[in-house]
Amino acid sequence: MTKAQTNGRPQPLSPERLAELRVPAVYRTPEEKRAALKRATEGLRVKVRVTRDMYRPR
Amino acid sequence: MSPTGGRPTATRGVFAIEEQALVLPDPIALDTSFVVEALLSTQPLHAVCDDFLTRIGDSGITVVTSDILAVELAETAFAIALKERWGRHWRGHRTDGRARRPATHLLNDTISRYETLLLSIDHFPVPLADTASVARNFMTSYGIASYDAVHAASAIAADAEAIVTLDTGFALLPASVLTVYTDRSRLASCRKKRPY
Repeated sequence: MTKAQTNGRPQPLSPERLAELRVPAVYRTPEEKRAALKRATEGLRVKVRVTRDMYRPR
Repeated sequence: MSPTGGRPTATRGVFAIEEQALVLPDPIALDTSFVVEALLSTQPLHAVCDDFLTRIGDSGITVVTSDILAVELAETAFAIALKERWGRHWRGHRTDGRARRPATHLLNDTISRYETLLLSIDHFPVPLADTASVARNFMTSYGIASYDAVHAASAIAADAEAIVTLDTGFALLPASVLTVYTDRSRLASCRKKRPY
């Protein structure tokens, strides 16, 4: 994991480990996916602007 | 070849998500800053991030996230509730119970939306334990902040070429390590930060 490739980029996890981590989408058709994304991203309104310091220390 | 498929330019591995010709690598990592903007309709770049998320969904590619993303979303919801109740003095009222009920409601709504988002896209959720050593290495080698380092290490762990973010801190990594997909207004700042 910590071994770097020639471009300085560390090696990814093994294919076996990645296969363990993979979670396939539940919604499979384009229509189902779009509808789910719409439910996720529409209508959540707040009264303040969110800035980076509200979730992550610098 | 550049991710837009055209002539290579001095992009320094930083590209605008508004660019319709932008190629989407598979998999692609998502940072909290992008997800917050996509989920909250009142954020200034909501439309841009929502559109890009729709592109990701339509393309059928897999997304990579760190386990800390959900924790940061929960923190965001809590902070919003405090800020709505207390304004600019919100930090001093973290233990005040009066904001907890709206915080709980907003937190549950936000996490529910995040889970719905993930149900529509193939997904690699990367545990912190799989990223700790690379994250530390990124911090000491490039000066990248700890949480950014964890998100970047999660991208690398799942072999993602690029991360979608509104945080210019990811540009502290070399372009050969991670491509940065961000909004147009942050291109210059990210490119200026690239070490090489």
